[in-house]
Amino acid sequence: MHTVWRRVAAVRTPDGAQLHAVVDGSEDAPVTLVLAHGWTLAQAAWDDVADLLAPRIADGELRLIRYDQRGHGRSTWPSPTHPDAEISIDQLGADLASLLDQLVPTGPVVLGGHSMGGMTIMCLAAARPELFGDRVRGVALVSTSAGDLTSDPRSAAGRMAALKPGVLNAALAGAVLVEKLRTLLPPSHPRHRRMVRELLYGADASDAMVLAGAEIMHASTVRAFITFMPALDEHDKRENLSALTRVPVEIFVGDEDKLTPPRHSRQLADALPDAQLHQVERTGHMLPQERPQLLVDALLRLLEAALDDRAAA
Amino acid sequence: MTSTLETPAASPDASPDAREVRVAIIGSGFAGLGMAIALRRRGETDFVVLERAGDVGGTWRDNTYPGAACDVQSNLYSFSFAPNPRWGRSYSEQPEIQAYLRATADRFDVRRHCVFGADVTSARWDDAARRWHVTTTAGEFRARVLISAAGALADPARPDIPGLDTFAGTVMHSARWEHAHDLSGKRVAVIGTGASAIQVVPAIQPIVDSITVYQRTPAWVVPRTDHPVKPWTRRLYTYVPGLQRGIRAFLYLFREFLVIGLAKNRRFLRPVAKLARTHLHRQVRDPKLRKALTPDYTIGCKRILISNDYFPAVAAPNAELVTAGIAEVRPHSVVTRDGVERPTDTIVLATGFSVTDLPIAKRIRGREGRSLADVWSDGMVSNRSAAVAGFPNLFLLVGPNVGVGHTSMVYMIESQVAYVDDALRTMDAEGLDVLETTPAAQEAWRSLVAEKSKGTVWLAGGCASWYLDRHGHNTTLWPDFTFRFRRLTRKLDRENYVGVPAGAPASRPEVAA
Ligand SMILES: Cc1cc2nc3c(=O)[nH]c(=O)nc-3n(C[C@H](O)[C@H](O)[C@H](O)COP(=O)(O)OP(=O)(O)OC[C@H]3O[C@@H](n4cnc5c(N)ncnc54)[C@H](O)[C@@H]3O)c2cc1C
Repeated sequence: MHTVWRRVAAVRTPDGAQLHAVVDGSEDAPVTLVLAHGWTLAQAAWDDVADLLAPRIADGELRLIRYDQRGHGRSTWPSPTHPDAEISIDQLGADLASLLDQLVPTGPVVLGGHSMGGMTIMCLAAARPELFGDRVRGVALVSTSAGDLTSDPRSAAGRMAALKPGVLNAALAGAVLVEKLRTLLPPSHPRHRRMVRELLYGADASDAMVLAGAEIMHASTVRAFITFMPALDEHDKRENLSALTRVPVEIFVGDEDKLTPPRHSRQLADALPDAQLHQVERTGHMLPQERPQLLVDALLRLLEAALDDRAAA
Repeated sequence: MTSTLETPAASPDASPDAREVRVAIIGSGFAGLGMAIALRRRGETDFVVLERAGDVGGTWRDNTYPGAACDVQSNLYSFSFAPNPRWGRSYSEQPEIQAYLRATADRFDVRRHCVFGADVTSARWDDAARRWHVTTTAGEFRARVLISAAGALADPARPDIPGLDTFAGTVMHSARWEHAHDLSGKRVAVIGTGASAIQVVPAIQPIVDSITVYQRTPAWVVPRTDHPVKPWTRRLYTYVPGLQRGIRAFLYLFREFLVIGLAKNRRFLRPVAKLARTHLHRQVRDPKLRKALTPDYTIGCKRILISNDYFPAVAAPNAELVTAGIAEVRPHSVVTRDGVERPTDTIVLATGFSVTDLPIAKRIRGREGRSLADVWSDGMVSNRSAAVAGFPNLFLLVGPNVGVGHTSMVYMIESQVAYVDDALRTMDAEGLDVLETTPAAQEAWRSLVAEKSKGTVWLAGGCASWYLDRHGHNTTLWPDFTFRFRRLTRKLDRENYVGVPAGAPASRPEVAA
């Protein structure tokens, strides 16, 4: 039987968190693709992209690693005994570095990040610039931002940021209650799905798509929602993107994205003059679900370029 | 020990150095020990306990896998005549149960009746000599009465997976754990999600590199109310034994209420199902994993499992639950039917035991040389779960339709021990050489059990469990309140047995009214 390799791995971070990663494809694949998901999502947000890539993984063309960011999906929070318990997107960049060190110590890598996952890659580029051009050979930044997320008070993120930290703490304390309330309006409820659709999806999104996304988000914890919100607010890598100029970058944004509206992607494209910017019509924030084929085409371009690079080197 | 019996006429196959005993018991688990203790307590000393292993304990000697523990409270899962005020936890772990069984064997001085390393390879009824001729790896025995307490969950079942023999790493069954094999840093596959898997998975998940759990059918899992027993409680049990007996009685009654749902009216299981569903929802957030862990059959159809750490373990960052079904094992991997191949260093078989095809049944041959397995080829039959027509002077402990999932097996075992002991005393009192049940009694018992099984969750719950044989008949479980079993087996049903008095020719059996 022709088979595809798969294994799960728990990546241990220096502060004691464990990241749940799923590795598809053979260890001797010529290139590895690592996908990072967004806030209150999980690696399942990449399922449609992964399904489209499956035949190529089976043919040994690439290895795919999906993982859950700390506090999301099956990944844990740092151990409570660890001193600096403060959450920042920089930590997510450091997590991605741990993952690369432990699961992909050698060989070319292409990174894809959606929303907070894109910011994760920017933080990695700022902290570990030497990786870019050498190990990291291409980057896809999807529905994301280099910073200044809340300056637009009309954006959904801006409205949420208007909540003061004191309120956040109270909310965190009341998380148990919120959990209970949340179960009263499960994703199967039409009103729940309508809210999710309005906030996150574009005009062409199917009901099944919205339900799948709503279920992934529903599985995330209130704690992840609340602890990462100020971190997203503080994220600002507008001046630290230079490492990304060394590799091919493709930027994607939906024209109906309410969380990270197109101006964020334009800002990125300005900072990265060689990057390709794709603004996708009738599409919201959930681009990996809404337009998986578009993304896969771009990822394959990046993967191919990564290999050409190697041949040239 | 010397036999008090006169030596019977030598039969052609009697080996000259066979040891002559009144009673031979096969197995030294809860059942074999319970029987031996009953004999000792009424002064009977002419018996042996034939045990293939090197110690007493059965289940609790063999199942030493990490996390092994009982799932019925120790206050109930222990001999009624030997309460243990010193249990360290409400649900004891394997080492403590095994220590209890060893201590109990010593306390009642039955260890000197045990012959260890005696694997019973065959037991034949010698009609002329009216003796059981028992061949073991530790010599030959001739016994007037043979009691098989060889266990229903004693022989590990190995799944029939292509390539399993070609695996280059370690393969071990949960009931044959290899403690020398270090699992830390290993990629471990656990096959099966039954009662053993649910204990072993959380015990090893934190130390292994990764753990893949191969699931065929998800189990219903309810919270485990396990806790350490406080020192003052233990003191109280020591000085007020009545208190521990009272708690035991309460636990027994509480668990018996489950039978109403399991066997009488499935509606009463709904709160239990709700409890299990809430438990799953609280512990597993991932919607796909949750779906994979949600059973599609009625709760109770398979054994209801108790655990607080199984769900978190399969939802851990280094764990994966696989439902695709195993296609084959390769030297360094396990391949599922969806074409996914997972690198694997160690395979743990948590695949249970041979239950409906007990190996001991092939080894016991009755009249005309037919084995129990032959007689049972169309399903296990017996009278009162203890005797089989065509097998004179043979009694079974934990034979057909004695199993219970909701409460302590020890309750059933003690019921059976009392019944068999009554049979032995009846033989003595009436001076009988031979006691044998009738096919009619067997048929009556079979239809009683079948009637009671109708509409129970085990038959109608929509699952395929090890409780049912290949014809879908319930031949393993007692399908009613356990106190009804005890009442039905309180005394020997003498009318259902044919007895042959000592000295009387076999051709003129005396039939009791
Ligand atoms: C992991 C596990 C957990 C369990 N937990 C519970 C629980 O919580 N509550 C409960 O009620 N029940 C539980 N059980 C069921 C348990 O098997 C019974 O409760 C009880 O221990 C059975 O005792 P037994 O004497 O009938 O059989 P066993 O304990 O299996 O003893 C049979 C003995 O016979 C010996 N033997 C077998 N064949 C031969 C032969 N041919 N020659 C010589 N000797 C032989 C075996 O070596 C063994 O020592 C559990 C079972 C398992 C496997």
